[in-house]
Amino acid sequence: MDYPIWNLSMGGGVLIAIVAITHVWVSHFAIGGGLAIAMVETLSVRRRDPALRNLAKRASLMLILISTVFGAISGVGIWVTIGLVQPAATSALIHNYVWGWAAEWGFFILEVVTALLYYATWDKVRPRTHLLIIWLYFFAAYMSLVIIQGIISFMLTPGRWVETHSFWDGIFNPTYFPGLLMRTGICLLLAGAYMIFAAMREPDGDARARLVRLMAGFQVAGALVAYGGYRWWEHALPESVRVIFLGASPIVAALAKTRTLVLWSLALFLLFALFAYLAPRVQRWPVALLALLAAFTFFGASERVREGIRKPFVIRDFMFSNGVLVSEIADLNQRGILAKATWAARESDGSQVSMGRAVYRAECQACHTLDGYLSLRKLVAPADADTLDTILSVMRAEGDEYASGKYMENGHVATQKLDYPHMPPLVGTPQEIQALKAYLLSLQKPQAVEVTHAQ
Amino acid sequence: MPNNLIPALDPASLPGPPWLFHGLWVLTFLIHLLFVNIVLGGTLLAAFAGHTKPGARETQTFFVETNAWVISLAITFGIAPLLFMQVLFGRFFYTATILVAWAWLGMLGILTLGYYLNYVAKFRLRAGKDARIILIIEALCFLAIAGIQVAINLLHLQPGRWESVAQGAWAALGDPAFMPRALHFVFASVAMAGAVLAYVATRRAAKDGDRAACLGMAQFGLRAALIATVLELLDGFWLLFALPEEVLKGFMRGGPATMVPLTLGILLGVLLLVVLGQITDPLAQEKKVRRVAELIVGTVVFMVVTRHQLRTIYLAPWRTGEHTAVATQWGPLALFLGVFVLCVGLTIYAILRALKDKPGPGEEAA
Repeated sequence: MDYPIWNLSMGGGVLIAIVAITHVWVSHFAIGGGLAIAMVETLSVRRRDPALRNLAKRASLMLILISTVFGAISGVGIWVTIGLVQPAATSALIHNYVWGWAAEWGFFILEVVTALLYYATWDKVRPRTHLLIIWLYFFAAYMSLVIIQGIISFMLTPGRWVETHSFWDGIFNPTYFPGLLMRTGICLLLAGAYMIFAAMREPDGDARARLVRLMAGFQVAGALVAYGGYRWWEHALPESVRVIFLGASPIVAALAKTRTLVLWSLALFLLFALFAYLAPRVQRWPVALLALLAAFTFFGASERVREGIRKPFVIRDFMFSNGVLVSEIADLNQRGILAKATWAARESDGSQVSMGRAVYRAECQACHTLDGYLSLRKLVAPADADTLDTILSVMRAEGDEYASGKYMENGHVATQKLDYPHMPPLVGTPQEIQALKAYLLSLQKPQAVEVTHAQ
Repeated sequence: MPNNLIPALDPASLPGPPWLFHGLWVLTFLIHLLFVNIVLGGTLLAAFAGHTKPGARETQTFFVETNAWVISLAITFGIAPLLFMQVLFGRFFYTATILVAWAWLGMLGILTLGYYLNYVAKFRLRAGKDARIILIIEALCFLAIAGIQVAINLLHLQPGRWESVAQGAWAALGDPAFMPRALHFVFASVAMAGAVLAYVATRRAAKDGDRAACLGMAQFGLRAALIATVLELLDGFWLLFALPEEVLKGFMRGGPATMVPLTLGILLGVLLLVVLGQITDPLAQEKKVRRVAELIVGTVVFMVVTRHQLRTIYLAPWRTGEHTAVATQWGPLALFLGVFVLCVGLTIYAILRALKDKPGPGEEAA
């Protein structure tokens, strides 16, 4: 809010989604792949099976190139991106969870070193040492998930943290364990989905079938665990969140469709996995590729749902997606949003429209763009001045409802009772609201000119 | 100093005492920087090692093989200082990064490219192919990252420059301290990578490595370290006088607290030149070569402290009246310390065991 606002035509949220989803596709493989490789090599040592050993070896190069290079950089990328798009929220998270992140970093050191060590010590150490290294790797990788899941789920369901501001209340929030179970399943299914390609490179037909079946087993088990975790997660969500994308008439139809995509893509993945498990000899790479794409779709869509249903908050019941705190609504209504949003305010030349543009930049641009994602120009195109007046008045009144605690239920805001349950309330002085209206109306003018010209 | 563009302090309390965050920040940044020096300096040396000179190929191979590890470690150890810095100075840092958002975000793409190019160079060299062009591009990637980091660092220290950078991001490069500061990092990295290369060459020679190649590596490394150290000392004075006047005065008025680390750093640099000048046959003077590497690490330690002090002086006028509440999260802090000790212990154990547990004759290897 009081930070500079990055002009990004695609929308900051979309950028975060691209970086974050790309990262989780890789990072969850880094965890599940660690377990799969550890199990495969353990089996190879016990059974003295060279095909299993070769699979572990081939997959370990994949693990290094994908996880320690791309995974590490894209992980930093999430930090970079959220710091650019949501600096206030990032700061709030850092202040609450710096020790959690620091602990995760401790595991990350062990994870990175053991990954590199494991790949470098093929043919150089005794099998027991090599196995110890990969099991240590998996331990570290999984523990980093155990910690980070607390912070991710906290943003959607902070639970008792809103009252206590306790680190542990935030970490062990209502969706912590369901989300952890779902992500564990995803780790397993992604391990199978990636490593089946390494399995198919086995030259011996019988051995290849065995390896493919083993990896398909990971896929099936992972899909079932992920499904169980997902349904549990939905069940654990508060009613105000569930109504956004569940039920007969969800508030945001697009998110309900995305949820359908989540379930169907997982079902499709399970079909591919069962096919590979039951008929490993006929498994071919295009099928494996389709399975991987289905896995990506499932995971990407579920992440999209999780992010989408958090709105209008970035940290539920605490901070809205535009950086305004629930606790400061009344104050900002008095002082004006531009008293806080100094970077947006400096762009105003004092005219009403430019002041309105500054208010738009401060309050709306976190989610809306002018002409791209969630285009504001398109949204206001059909509205006349009176309609806009009504909408903005209702949105501002909703701020009072948040501030008064009128819709508080069990310590949480029952957003479903609001007229705009998916939007932050409009905050600011009456003069700023009028300026915003003038600016929004000014967005319609170029279109009117274009229409006139076309006629 | 009034500036209404500085965002408000985060309303949350600090989850630990500031001195602890400062200490962890400096410590982890030091480790990060040592790895970064190997990556940046090593890639530059590999790129310019030549083609036909004795030890040139071994130099390239050494750095690309080493950097396959060290880049990962540099990234890993870069996370912690970034974390601790955000707790203390997030509002300055976020603002600076947003003002040059595309460069900050683009750095990730450049880093990814540089890292993968290192692997390409590694596999090409293993296959007996030439990798110089790839190494030059890789070196350019890491130089660009160094430039971006220095620009953002300087920008977050000077809210007075934010307005001009908001008008055009390229203004971030207009700071008089930018070039000397960027060069300060580059020369230090070349000196350190050169010293490490020379030390590795002497160790290899002692273990019956190819003597001509080892001599070539050691001489190249020491020559690079010597030239870079001379340039570093000169550039250091340029950097000192490129500082804003009030910062320089604040630094000089800091008394022993600021002058001792800087003086020690400079003295170690001078001592380094003396030791470098004494080495005539590196393979026969292994101890002196090791001393060079130790002196460089020592210099980096003092310079990291000086750098941190400079930050405090730069920001002091902008933080007047800043009062941050502290509510230490003892449980989570204990969790971090416990995990850190456990993981570092396990990491060392894994490395030692991997180094020692070699299969005996006729025994199966993993």
